[in-house]
Amino acid sequence: MTSKYIALPKSVTEKVFDAAINDFRSVLGDAAVLISAEQLAPYIKTMMPVSDAEHAPSAALLATTVEQIQKIVGICNRYKVPIWTISTGKNLGYGSAAPAERGQVVLDLKRMNRILEVDKDLAFALVEPGVTYQQLDDYIKEHKLGLWLSMPAPSAIAGPVGNTLDRGVGYTPYGEHFLFACGMEVVLANGEVLRTGMGSMPNSNTWQVFKWGYGPYLDGIFTQSNYGIVTKFGFWLMPEPPAFKPFVIQYEYEEDIVEIVETIRPLRISGVIPNAVVIAHALYEAPVKARRSDYVSGPGSIPDEAVYRIMKDHKLGIWNVYAALYGTQEQIDVNWKIVTQAFGRSGKAKILTEQEAAEDPAFVYRAKLMRGEMTLTEFSLYNWRGGGGSMWFAPVSQARGSETLKQMALTKQILAKYGLDYSGEFIVGMRDMHHIVDVLYDKTDPEQTKAAYQCFDELLTEFSARGYGTYRVNTAFMDKVAETYGPVQRNVHKTLKKALDPNGILAPGKSGIR
Amino acid sequence: MKETRLGGAFVVFGFMLVIFFPAINHAWSAQEEKLSAGFAWKDGAEIYAKICAYCHEAQVGPPIRNRELPISYIRTIVRNGNRAMPSFRSSEIDDESLTKLADFISKTEAQH
Ligand SMILES: Cc1cc2nc3c(=O)[nH]c(=O)nc-3n(C[C@H](O)[C@H](O)[C@H](O)COP(=O)(O)OP(=O)(O)OC[C@H]3O[C@@H](n4cnc5c(N)ncnc54)[C@H](O)[C@@H]3O)c2cc1C
Repeated sequence: MTSKYIALPKSVTEKVFDAAINDFRSVLGDAAVLISAEQLAPYIKTMMPVSDAEHAPSAALLATTVEQIQKIVGICNRYKVPIWTISTGKNLGYGSAAPAERGQVVLDLKRMNRILEVDKDLAFALVEPGVTYQQLDDYIKEHKLGLWLSMPAPSAIAGPVGNTLDRGVGYTPYGEHFLFACGMEVVLANGEVLRTGMGSMPNSNTWQVFKWGYGPYLDGIFTQSNYGIVTKFGFWLMPEPPAFKPFVIQYEYEEDIVEIVETIRPLRISGVIPNAVVIAHALYEAPVKARRSDYVSGPGSIPDEAVYRIMKDHKLGIWNVYAALYGTQEQIDVNWKIVTQAFGRSGKAKILTEQEAAEDPAFVYRAKLMRGEMTLTEFSLYNWRGGGGSMWFAPVSQARGSETLKQMALTKQILAKYGLDYSGEFIVGMRDMHHIVDVLYDKTDPEQTKAAYQCFDELLTEFSARGYGTYRVNTAFMDKVAETYGPVQRNVHKTLKKALDPNGILAPGKSGIR
Repeated sequence: MKETRLGGAFVVFGFMLVIFFPAINHAWSAQEEKLSAGFAWKDGAEIYAKICAYCHEAQVGPPIRNRELPISYIRTIVRNGNRAMPSFRSSEIDDESLTKLADFISKTEAQH
């Protein structure tokens, strides 16, 4: 017998699911409960090297109010139906809008998208999950609030709630997003509504200005987790500075990453360079300007010799350090002197500003990211291999030159074994660097897809064997990464899960937690 | 858009599902915000400018305007994605707005 569903939740019969769907419909109306293959198509596409069927949802629910969500979790508890919550649902390269496990119901909060408050003086925002960076940017500009956003490279189509809940990053001085989160409203699995921090106190007006509240700080347990459904989210915004000076520093040799990191770390820790910097490899920047097929053909990873030709042809360094100064012109002048002296010392660095690089498309989009201006230019990465396959490999490194070099060399070596290129960058940190590598492959090519899967698996194995942990991973590898952090942390995660969600209805499998 | 209130309707529901909601929190019902409505697209041009153009007018994706692409093809690609192009859900671009967007993209007119 063919089912009317494209998938069913684990251990839920079609009859039970029918009943759950009926109840969902009575809460949301028929139009907001999606079950047909056509309606669910956008939730199925992922960039991961596994069959999309493994992550096909059974349904999607378009909720718009807290009250509806409370009712939905009630229904889920009754029928033991698991839901996978997304906000703007653009977790591209980490699982997109698809659930961790086949058959989970996607709770899609994109239409719950009111900007509840933006305070110009205290420079904070309180928003619902479906608000995109574009929507917030338009609002800020329309109301002339003089505030800047920090957003990830998919800017316009992604949003602050989903991005920060997955502990994502941006490129302004507020680039480590969860550092700037302040107050959440969370629907718990039992239907209770928790406001974290100062928000727990009725009539408090300090919810978005003081993070810690009283007693154990709870916000962290709702990030990269499945302990609740965040329905409101507060965060701080950066006042627009009077002046802004983006720059790029180029280096010619891969070993120069040591000098770069050693030079930049003290400048970052002391705050001379305030923003989340990027140290991008030539192959991360090349797709904005060059086509891979113009330099290599056939299988295998791109040879170093071709990378050097790309560098020369397209005015790239092998490393391209993007950073910026913010403040009054006087402040910028003082700090610029410190930066140029520090980087000028060895004679290896080529320092470029808007004056020299205003026409350079890589510089242009990087400068936009560093001032929170919408751009999707980084999607050029997907023209490199074509075929739409991508996984972010994201180990954390100390901000120490020798360490970043070691990580780069190991990554490159493992990628090469599988015929894949090193499209990598080091980003964000003061004391750490997120080492971000886009494992690009052609998902329409079964051989390359298989190689990409094995390659990613080996990257995780080899890195964890050396004590290098991953900060975030796609839904196909969440269990594997959870395992690398050891049994005690896994047990604590599980204990919390049991206490907060005894029926396991919220996003089972997220970060390996069930 | 309807405001969030944990009032009447919910009490009835809470009664029905009392086993699953041991301690419904009503603390916020009194202080729910007076709010603006949620976001809605104005027209096809707006969607194009605020989503599509970032790639399709920036040499990231191919040009798609003024090519008389069939409406049904545009709808399919938007909903299913295409290789590296992400799919867009009806929660992001509702069906009605998608029709306007497809219309905007496919019809030939001088760009301004
Ligand atoms: C070219 C490219 C560049 C990228 N660059 C960056 C970058 O610079 N920085 C970066 O961080 N990422 C980057 N990404 C990855 C990703 O696209 C972004 O992180 C994006 O912001 C995540 O999608 P989203 O904001 O729509 O969040 P969503 O997809 O809505 O949410 C992400 C996850 O958070 C959880 N979640 C979401 N909402 C809730 C909720 N209400 N309650 C509980 N849990 C919830 C879910 O597990 C969900 O899967 C990039 C991707 C691409 C393709």
